[in-house]
Amino acid sequence: MPLNQALKGKEYPALTMEVDRGAVDRFAAAIGEHDPVFRSAEAAVAAGFPEQLAPPTFVTRMQIPASAQIAADPDLGLDYTRVVHGEQGYEWVRPVHVGDVLTATPRIADIYGKGSLEFLVVESDIRDAGGDIVVRARTTLLSRGAGG
Amino acid sequence: MTGGPRFDDVRVGTAIPALAKVVRREEIKAYADASGDQNPLHQDDAFAQSVGFPGIIAHGMFTMAHVAKAVTDWAGDPGALVAMDVRFRAVVFMDETLEAGGEVTALDPASRRATLSVWAAVQRDGQRVLAVKNSTAEVRLG
Repeated sequence: MPLNQALKGKEYPALTMEVDRGAVDRFAAAIGEHDPVFRSAEAAVAAGFPEQLAPPTFVTRMQIPASAQIAADPDLGLDYTRVVHGEQGYEWVRPVHVGDVLTATPRIADIYGKGSLEFLVVESDIRDAGGDIVVRARTTLLSRGAGG
Repeated sequence: MTGGPRFDDVRVGTAIPALAKVVRREEIKAYADASGDQNPLHQDDAFAQSVGFPGIIAHGMFTMAHVAKAVTDWAGDPGALVAMDVRFRAVVFMDETLEAGGEVTALDPASRRATLSVWAAVQRDGQRVLAVKNSTAEVRLG
């Protein structure tokens, strides 16, 4: 079943996440990031940052629930078992750090087909508590069409 | 932020040091928990085999994190990375050696930014397989 083109431009409810030190520690450990600015507040402050930094791709933690929310939209017609992560883009305005309270507003930027594949592009502006954009994220999911 | 190259010392064609690591099952389990991505493709061998893989596969974002680390390690400043666009072209299996690297393709003196083409690859059955290709990163240099 093709994806519903009419949903292009649809915005989904905002998601909020507080950047928790334990979550940053676990993420840095899992990706093998040992630079002290990602592992300790003291090292980050000594390097001129306000707090322990989150590794650049840490914000993926917000995209999992964002994608799940969109995948569950009954109007879209997406079969999540057929979906793979095709592309990921980030633009960082500043590094994310422990204590940031981030809000992401996901929207469907594009839906298009190519052969038996369908592409769903989701963009999110991720803002801090002051309303300033910290990261712009763009996720392209590929859905293998029926029989593909 | 020290240790990295100065903008004036970088040329188009400058390669960044490749960063390699063996992808272990425990790391993928840790990444699933740390990222919140609990897709069974990354956890359950039987499920992964049912869709045609030899066993669980690494998360695409795990591979992207490794590429990002190759870039920030080279730049010497964790805040230097301003943008990255990655295309996932092949999956990565357990116990494969994941290598990431890149090369400077453009320099903008006004902003002191360098654009790089970046890649990630594994060796499989004697062949080099690109897990990430046609991908870019942008860094601000000192």
